[in-house]
Amino acid sequence: MSSMFIKDDDFSAFVTTMIEAGPVYGPVAKRSRFIFERLESPEELRLDYDVTILPPKKLFFPPAQDLIRFDADEFKSAIDPEEKVLLGVHFYDVKGLDQTDLLYSERNFDSSYMANRQTTTIVASNIQNVSDRAFFASVGAGVPAKGHDAFLTSITGGYVFEPLTERGEALLKHGAFVAATDAQVAEAEKVNAEALTKCKEKHEHSAEDIAAKVAAAFDNEDLWSELAEDCFSCGSCNTVCPTCYCFDVQDTWNVDAVSGQRTRYWDACLTADFAQVSLGEGATENFRGSRGERFRHRFMRKSVYLNDKLGQPACVGCGRCSAACTADIADPVRVIDRIMAS
Amino acid sequence: MSHQCHWTEAVDLFLPREAKIVKTAQPTELEKHFTLQMIDGEPVDFQPGQIMELGLLGYGEIPIGFASSPTNPETFDVVVRSVGRVSKAINQLEAGDTLQMRGPLGHGFDLDKLRGHDVLIVAGGIGLCPTRSLINYILDRRDEFNRFVLFYGTREPCLQLFTDDLACWRGMEDVEYFETVDQGDPSWTGNVGVITTLFPKVELGPETRAVICGPPVFYKFVVRELDGIGVPHENIFVDLERRMKCGVGKCGHCQINDKYTCVDGPVFAYSEVEDLGEAF
Repeated sequence: MSSMFIKDDDFSAFVTTMIEAGPVYGPVAKRSRFIFERLESPEELRLDYDVTILPPKKLFFPPAQDLIRFDADEFKSAIDPEEKVLLGVHFYDVKGLDQTDLLYSERNFDSSYMANRQTTTIVASNIQNVSDRAFFASVGAGVPAKGHDAFLTSITGGYVFEPLTERGEALLKHGAFVAATDAQVAEAEKVNAEALTKCKEKHEHSAEDIAAKVAAAFDNEDLWSELAEDCFSCGSCNTVCPTCYCFDVQDTWNVDAVSGQRTRYWDACLTADFAQVSLGEGATENFRGSRGERFRHRFMRKSVYLNDKLGQPACVGCGRCSAACTADIADPVRVIDRIMAS
Repeated sequence: MSHQCHWTEAVDLFLPREAKIVKTAQPTELEKHFTLQMIDGEPVDFQPGQIMELGLLGYGEIPIGFASSPTNPETFDVVVRSVGRVSKAINQLEAGDTLQMRGPLGHGFDLDKLRGHDVLIVAGGIGLCPTRSLINYILDRRDEFNRFVLFYGTREPCLQLFTDDLACWRGMEDVEYFETVDQGDPSWTGNVGVITTLFPKVELGPETRAVICGPPVFYKFVVRELDGIGVPHENIFVDLERRMKCGVGKCGHCQINDKYTCVDGPVFAYSEVEDLGEAF
């Protein structure tokens, strides 16, 4: 599929037409930061965002997602996918979705996630501003993002729109697109290449070296205790992570006390009771009872356990965890540097 | 998207099936024994050691092992210990009530690795429930196995489960049954001591296939005894418990290092998990 071009002056009308055709989600400002939100108008769209507070996984795996609804007579699946467009996703977040797509579909196909994933057209966009903690250029560099349907790059006078799937191509009807010139395509490539040079943080070692060293550090209890010493066990690092997908499941009743729902909620392996079971009569067993053990689990998962399956670490370098951590101890670049030096 | 499966063709992993309670018993103060039958009439095709998510709408689900042998496909048994919101609500139910289940889930005992060999089962406390599925399977297909030795330990005599079964096993020639309690009471005339005190009572060879299911502290002490006998670790099978929410390898709660207890287990060869720092 060949690349197309749309002028700045026509872009707004393109977004408006898409919004008229169905729900469109994209980055919008929230005070001084950004979130993915349903667009009411093209003016709200902020393709110049650096990073959103939460990754776009929330559209497929929302913080609270009903699995089953029930009343006095019956229970049924709550799967109810929404046909929608998700506009303006940076490549690192597409890679996060690529990973959750694989993990939610392998072995047992999770329709509660996948149904919405399969009804969404994703338009990725170039990174115009880089957040302070991002290190996406130095993680999983050999594995390109693949889950998007089109790629939008801001260049002089407008945008290059590269359709990658039929879904992506189907969006062309909404705007005044013309074939992109070779020069415009070359400029888009240059813009995207330059974004990779702007991260302030970076991993100094290969994913293979990091995986080997982190795995070898498993039994180094002093190291993990030291790294987790200031951890509040709040789970913020998990909550903002595009590749975290653990959940809790709870049933709740509606006010009629007859009907209700079974809902999954985001959960976080850094929280104290994540692996705790009750043995009865008040006795409990916590299979990851210390902060160090929980901190270690996160780093094993992000840099060791899933590498073979994913072909890359389970981290995309967005830097959200680094910025979200109250104690500022979650930064993967700093933590891995410390482990490499151990 | 490279995934071939479309959701409309896929099963909803979280949609349970309904089961009717046929019979209940209350073996201890905390535990209740249920015999269940699927309302849709489709028997549950499980292996001993596999688990299910047993649920009650409005309360939630709990992971639990099958406590009966699949040689009786019409019904299946579970024993629920009252510990939290879901288990306490389930234990209020009586015969005729319905609840829900998803399963069977996970990997059970690899029966082919036990057939034709001496089998030792070491069960502690509520660990007798999932192993009862295997015990009854072996007793139902006794010719397929060689010697069958069973060790059962509880903290106190009043905590013994399946007391009818125990009475039966005590007198049976098909099983060499030994039991112990950590602490006796005036009526107890049997062995007093931790589970490992039963090992000197029977001569076991290194070709024995061993199955262990008990509280978390249990495993390493039993394995130490088996090491003394010379049982290779690939012939020791451990049935492990972890917190579980989904039962289908997604929610992350049951992870032991990179393994998911719910889909990779709950039954593992000891050799598969002995080097995992989070296993024991």
